[in-house]
Amino acid sequence: MSARGWRLIGRWYSIPLLLVVWQVAVSSGLVHSRLLPSVVAVWDALVVEIGDGVLIYHAGVTIGRALTGFALAAVVGIPFAAAMARSPLVRNLFEPIFFFGYPIPKIALFPVFTYVFGFGTPSKVAFTFLECLYPIVVTAYLGFRGIETRLIWAAQNFGASRTTVLWRVVVPAALPAIFSGLRIALPVAIIVVVLTEMIGDSIGLGYYITIWSTRFTFQNVYAAIVVIGVCGFALDQALDQVRRRVVHWQRVIPR
Amino acid sequence: MRIGAAFVQKWVVPVSVVAAWEFFGHTAILPRYLSDPSSIVAALWEVTADGELLQAVTASLYRVIAGFAIGTAAGVIVGLGAGLVPAVRNFFDPLVSFLFAVPKIAFLPVFLLLFGIGHTSKIAIVAFSCFFPVFIASSHAVMSVDKLILWAARNMGAPRRTLFFRVLVPAAAPQLIAGVRISLAHAFIVLFAAELIGSHAGLGELIAEGEDAARFDLMFAGILAFAALGFIGDRILMAVRARVLKGQAMGTEEEVAS
Repeated sequence: MSARGWRLIGRWYSIPLLLVVWQVAVSSGLVHSRLLPSVVAVWDALVVEIGDGVLIYHAGVTIGRALTGFALAAVVGIPFAAAMARSPLVRNLFEPIFFFGYPIPKIALFPVFTYVFGFGTPSKVAFTFLECLYPIVVTAYLGFRGIETRLIWAAQNFGASRTTVLWRVVVPAALPAIFSGLRIALPVAIIVVVLTEMIGDSIGLGYYITIWSTRFTFQNVYAAIVVIGVCGFALDQALDQVRRRVVHWQRVIPR
Repeated sequence: MRIGAAFVQKWVVPVSVVAAWEFFGHTAILPRYLSDPSSIVAALWEVTADGELLQAVTASLYRVIAGFAIGTAAGVIVGLGAGLVPAVRNFFDPLVSFLFAVPKIAFLPVFLLLFGIGHTSKIAIVAFSCFFPVFIASSHAVMSVDKLILWAARNMGAPRRTLFFRVLVPAAAPQLIAGVRISLAHAFIVLFAAELIGSHAGLGELIAEGEDAARFDLMFAGILAFAALGFIGDRILMAVRARVLKGQAMGTEEEVAS
């Protein structure tokens, strides 16, 4: 086997190893299969539920809500952060809300959201928007504020107009921070949607998990967890690809 | 005079929101479920006086502190190990990168089945959620410590213990604490959801109870108490951080954000 092959094994062996241990533990009767369904059972459930489209439907609902809330938060949050960074009035008006509100667990407000927006998609999207808004605004704001004034002066010296300075200097300089905010917010979006679906809904992966766990059919619960994991991983990778394209001058983002 | 203007601007939004809420809440223009600030304060006083709040807060705090402590400790230990030893890193990295994207609350049904509906299942799920951000932050922190510092210390004959406790850990501390802060936020989110979904005690349950009885002032009182706990927890962590780092984080992003 090639050195590359060995390196791949050395890097990824733990997942197959764990699956084997899991399967052996269940099929040898060491762990009761009602508590922990075997790997094979989970795989079967995954195949069946994806095959008849049920999991795909629920995953579509969940990811759709998560991305809608996330995108809204990005579209509103980034210009807002720029405004806060550039204008002292906007900063004074809203800085306390963002910096005091940041550590407050906003999930506590979710019951209120269900009253205002109802039980379905709107309350989930609105709540995802709120939860994503904080990391996006706070990181982007720090990014906009952290721009070296030298850069702006230099551009102005060369006779750049206000719009040119904004689009060619300020925005590119803040992009790495904007993307690290987005990268924090994306998993938050998925977490929040699944969580609120678990609290109360009739569609979505969170609902799917709740309903199958009340029926003690845990292979379906694990199948849904696998789907969430794959979606989350894929979305994170996709965002990272976008970042590489847009912020091509920066290789790694410190997380 | 400028300072005065800034001060007014900082307070105008929160104060006017509360005032409008109070006014429209009393004139019955707002729907009943939004209650109003003075009723909420009254409800808060009511549950404080009859001890219900204290009981709920105690239960929630116990769970969040125990879960957070266990999860964070495990995350730091395993994370430092992963940062230092490639074999440990290779074992945990694939698992963590897969599980990190999964909302840990999805495991709640499993944890409820394993540990029952009492404290243990909540502590376990909180600990489980806290583990990941701390693990990632501390393993990254260790790996990104400037090699020159380590070499310099080794060159001057520092033994391994000194190297670890006096060089590596302090150098990794800022990033590590940033991870701990994220995990504290996760702890509160997960605890709230867990208490709302299946619990017999705690603030989440108090909020659900107020909702069920259409006592919206009670519901908001619970929400307010929960928000306050999260906020105070974060402040305590930041105060601890300021002492531990003693100026190390000055001028960084983190410092501004706190």
